[in-house]
Amino acid sequence: MSSPLPPVRVEKALELMPELEALAPLRALLISIARPDERALWSSSGPYLTLGKRGVDPDELRRRLPHALHRIAEHVHALCKTYVEALEARQRGDAAGVVGALVRGGHLEEEVGRFPQARAWYELALSVAEGLQDRRPEVDALRALGYLCLRLGQYAEGARQFQRAFALAEAEFDQAGAIAACEGLGDVARAQGEWGGAQAWYGRGLRLAEASGDEGKMGRLERRLGVLARKQGDLATAGDYLRRARERFEAAGRADEMARVLDAQGRLDAQLGRHTAAEAAYREALAWAQREPRAPGLELAIRLNLAELDLEMARWLDAEGELRRAEQVAIAANLAGRLAQIYTLMGKLRGAQQDETGFVFFEQAIELARAVERSPAAEAQVYHAYGLFRSRLGQQEEARAYLERARELFDSLGEAVERERVDAELRALSA
Amino acid sequence: MTRPIGMEPSPLPAVPRKEGAARLRILVVAGEGAGSAALLQSLRQWADDGRLEVDAAPDLPRAVRLLAGQRWDVVLAALGERPDEELSWWADALRSATGGPRLIAAAQAPSMGLALRAEKLGVLDVLALPLRRDDLIRALERLRSAAGETTIPLPVVEHHAVGPNALVGQSPAMLDVYKLLARVAASTATVLIQGESGTGKEVVARAVHLHGPKASGAFVAVNCAAIPENLLESELFGHEKGAFTGAVTRKVGRFEHAAGGTLFLDEIADMSLALQAKILRAVQEREIERVGGTDTIPIDVRLIAATNRDLKDAIKQGRFREDLYYRLAVVTIRLPKLAERGDDLLLLTAFFIRQFAERYGKRITAISDRAMDLLRAHAWVGNVRELRNVIERGVIVANDETLRAAHLPDEIRGEETALTDRPQGGLLALAEVEARYIARVLAHTNGQIGAAAEILGIHRNTLTRKMKEYGL
Repeated sequence: MSSPLPPVRVEKALELMPELEALAPLRALLISIARPDERALWSSSGPYLTLGKRGVDPDELRRRLPHALHRIAEHVHALCKTYVEALEARQRGDAAGVVGALVRGGHLEEEVGRFPQARAWYELALSVAEGLQDRRPEVDALRALGYLCLRLGQYAEGARQFQRAFALAEAEFDQAGAIAACEGLGDVARAQGEWGGAQAWYGRGLRLAEASGDEGKMGRLERRLGVLARKQGDLATAGDYLRRARERFEAAGRADEMARVLDAQGRLDAQLGRHTAAEAAYREALAWAQREPRAPGLELAIRLNLAELDLEMARWLDAEGELRRAEQVAIAANLAGRLAQIYTLMGKLRGAQQDETGFVFFEQAIELARAVERSPAAEAQVYHAYGLFRSRLGQQEEARAYLERARELFDSLGEAVERERVDAELRALSA
Repeated sequence: MTRPIGMEPSPLPAVPRKEGAARLRILVVAGEGAGSAALLQSLRQWADDGRLEVDAAPDLPRAVRLLAGQRWDVVLAALGERPDEELSWWADALRSATGGPRLIAAAQAPSMGLALRAEKLGVLDVLALPLRRDDLIRALERLRSAAGETTIPLPVVEHHAVGPNALVGQSPAMLDVYKLLARVAASTATVLIQGESGTGKEVVARAVHLHGPKASGAFVAVNCAAIPENLLESELFGHEKGAFTGAVTRKVGRFEHAAGGTLFLDEIADMSLALQAKILRAVQEREIERVGGTDTIPIDVRLIAATNRDLKDAIKQGRFREDLYYRLAVVTIRLPKLAERGDDLLLLTAFFIRQFAERYGKRITAISDRAMDLLRAHAWVGNVRELRNVIERGVIVANDETLRAAHLPDEIRGEETALTDRPQGGLLALAEVEARYIARVLAHTNGQIGAAAEILGIHRNTLTRKMKEYGL
């Protein structure tokens, strides 16, 4: 009996797929079923295995196609159902219902990563909402648009949507809408490194939430304030906020929020040098994250923090194990965009081990940031880490070139804080 | 959500009680189903017979919190509706728990697939719900018996240092390698090293370099499979600034770095045919050109190549150039698999224990008989590299002067179940043998049913049916 044909490498398989939007589900399926060859795991190239070197079996792809097509049909069906709901709402003269249904359509698109399509739903919802006497539906549509902009790194536009939402919510005495808008404005400010602004908005949101007695919103804002305080170096305040958030969520049995708070607690403990406590917090966060509904993105974030902790403690084997688990989660859950972050850390790990071949992880990360994540911010982060990797190996000329590329990208994005960090490293390189 | 957990009275007589044996601390996580209180109650009733101290946690997150601060010997977790997934989460959660407690999983009608998965994850046992007292006590006895491991002092190991690595072993297969290595090293002949993954091809390549006429030069290793194909050419031959997008600086390639020394091309079978042609030219002409460059650069390097593939097979399939093969395989050294090296396993184990104990500042002078049995029973797909990895992990967690079974990684420790508790002198039921073998073949084919069916010599529908039957 002849031996079975070897699987096709992902890098080769993707070469044969045109960059068409219609093929995105097929691309996602292909990536999610890619597996490392068991023999390759123990070969000398095993430690450098990346997505591109995983294998795909055409036969398996063919067998899984009905499942993928079913999911596409389900998505289209859900969109059509949402449209019919909007139509029914129009028929009975329920304009708020129309806006609600259209916003839900956008959420459905966002869930599967179809951001331009999500924007189309939200903008339509907004145009309907603008003609209404009741302004609350408009607040909802603006908030949805604001978060989409934030997700896409369009901070200025996101801030505008949230500002409008906040003004409308206040005018309408819509407490919930105002709290959510404050949260959004704080998130935009934080994403831009404007700590003071973020703190002001979160604080304002918290006061509103306290006035309305909404425990869930209070907990969310306290967690955000805790994270912010940690970033600003006020660790005692950070601990206080996180403890309060944790008490609220545990009492309410909110597993996903518990996972987020414990993840933030882990980062705080790590910053305080309490490594054992940090690890315990991350492990407990993972345990909460696995409760339904599962959130692979959250699990991934916690695992990356755990890996960073292992890296900090020079526990190379544990760091590698955690990163490989994160990689598996990202691939299986169709979060290929996050792989850039995983491979960047993997490269950092190799750099710490003085392993020059670690450059392959940065190369793969750049490719993923460009082709899958399509995010210049993510690409800039990779170049930044790549530069530090080269510098660590004593390759100063290459280090400088990569850091300069990172600076260029941060510049084009208007990310002043990151740009300053890169500048500082470039100066250190010259000195 | 967990399913209700029931219990039933044990129809078997009580397990004889061993006076004076230590009590085990067990943390029970009975889930949220209707039967969870009953399960906990029965555990408390059995506590005396099982010499147990029973504590409880309501769910996984709270159990993790408790485990971070206190020490238990065993965690008994009732799995719910997604047993496979939940089992992975438990194994993950216990990874860093204080004192490394063992996991006993309990599930409604556990499938063979769940049992095999549990084995891989190092779970002490998978028990069926409703839980039977005697099943539990038997699993706990296995844990207790592990405490009676006897120690084997580590033997003195003679080794030949090769840079950061060493050649270790006295098996006939390795003696043949040493003899050939001694003969070939003195020349500058190109060498091809063949052997499965992890058999030590790079160590042998370094030894050839260090005992050869170019020993004073550099030893430069390139892993052809690790580097993306589009970058491999510039990695080997270098490039001029601006030769392609991303060529931000001028780069000297590995051929030039290895000038006056040895260039080791590992996993050469993974190279594209186009690049193979360029390597052939470099070997024949003894000169290269940087990517985007016009100058010809003479090279003076000894070339050693290695592969874990059958190159003759690759030539037949048109994936490897025959002319390059004959250029590289002037002398061929074939490395044996670890399984073919007999008692070298003990020597390598002892060598790695000493090496890692020194690195991690520990004093380990012995290995337990049980740990050694587990190492002997393991399949070692990754050969010496896998052994080295297993020992390194073991040394990191070892807390006394003996490396014990408990210090070995989950996947090896899980095989303990396969070594013990066998009815009739350790023999397995036919169905279990079949299930295990199918699982192994599926792992080999990366889950490809068609390929697995072909290897097993059965129709794919039959295989699918059996997979369903065994819960694989």
